[in-house]
Amino acid sequence: MQYKDYYQIMGLSRSANQAEIKRAYRKLARKYHPDVSKEPDAEAKFKELGEAYEVLKDPQKRAAYDKLGSNWKAGEDFSPPPKWDEGFEFRGGGFTGGDANAFSAFFAQLFGRDGFRPADQVPHGFRVRGQDSHAKIYIDLEDSIQGATRNISLSTPEMDAQGRVQIKHRNLNIKIPKGVKPGQHIRLAGQGDPGLGDGKSGDLLLEIAFNNHPLYRVSGTDIYLDLPVTPWEARLGAKIKIPTPVGTVDLKIPPHSEQGTKLRLKGHGLPAKTPGDFYVVLQIALPPAHSEEAKAAYQKMQHEFDFNPRVSLGV
Amino acid sequence: MNSHHLLPVHTGTVIEDDKLTLGQLCHACGVHADWVISLVEESIIEPQEGDEMHLWRFSGASLVRVRSALRLQRDLGVNLAGIALALDLIEELEQLRTRLKIMGHD
Repeated sequence: MQYKDYYQIMGLSRSANQAEIKRAYRKLARKYHPDVSKEPDAEAKFKELGEAYEVLKDPQKRAAYDKLGSNWKAGEDFSPPPKWDEGFEFRGGGFTGGDANAFSAFFAQLFGRDGFRPADQVPHGFRVRGQDSHAKIYIDLEDSIQGATRNISLSTPEMDAQGRVQIKHRNLNIKIPKGVKPGQHIRLAGQGDPGLGDGKSGDLLLEIAFNNHPLYRVSGTDIYLDLPVTPWEARLGAKIKIPTPVGTVDLKIPPHSEQGTKLRLKGHGLPAKTPGDFYVVLQIALPPAHSEEAKAAYQKMQHEFDFNPRVSLGV
Repeated sequence: MNSHHLLPVHTGTVIEDDKLTLGQLCHACGVHADWVISLVEESIIEPQEGDEMHLWRFSGASLVRVRSALRLQRDLGVNLAGIALALDLIEELEQLRTRLKIMGHD
């Protein structure tokens, strides 16, 4: 088990007072809150912060934690000295906020877990349906278009016979239904938290998100593709081959197309009752001018066109 | 051989828009109906149909909003008016980020 430096996590000195601890928490909580933050490791940081605050805001827990001494380094292998918590009253109580499920093994070793009743203490005949549990899964665009079976791994906090919470990892093979959109949920009946007593298990709700795709972007049910074209294809029109998630198709580029022109293939987006559309966004690519012939061709264009693209800039 | 092939395949159901009852939404998010009703009153989530409570139906997107609301209240101590404001701004931010991505400026 690794030692956690709660002061370091909150960016505080060991002498910080309660007001400073609260201010540091509020500030960092806004920065790392998973609903608000764009930081890549926001969720992990936020959990760590919640745990640190849980200890430092409570004078009893903080005093006990301080008693471990300041010689420990974050990440150092740690086991609590015998009787380290003598005289402190926090075991089995005093949790005031935060998501205790997410706290580390280090925290659990020191302060126990609250709010979880060991399975063998459930009164006879008592039944409560288990909670629905939630997870977000990332799938590929192609999985939604064609339908697929994907293996997902889930980490779920589960309670053992002693009422301790342990993170259980499990793998599930799930069917990805055709046409599922980012933000939609798939319900897997009976795969959530176990019920208490004879109660049924809850459901597992999977929120769908898409992996970034090297070619396509998804917005609602529509799919976008940036398509490089030559200046002459854009201006004169052309029939070219383009990739789509279901294979190569022919696309007619109308003459007089511009940089950024959007062409729509109706109904070629995500499958649905009203299928989405597939949009091609033209990106004009300039041919290099390495050879003498190529340079001559550009010079010819320079002579042929009376073209000033900066007219609107007034120069 | 990959051990994944030995596992059974679970087939779920997609939660379509306008499908969740108040009870299902509460159970799915682990919150009390009173609290969800106060979210509706604050217009943080809106039932898609039904003037009467037992006819209310919520979209799958409400699930995400209720759970975000719960975290904002629990973790940051934001009140309902603040939650409404924060969720609307977060949503707008996400739409803008998507648009930026579509324009290729990500």
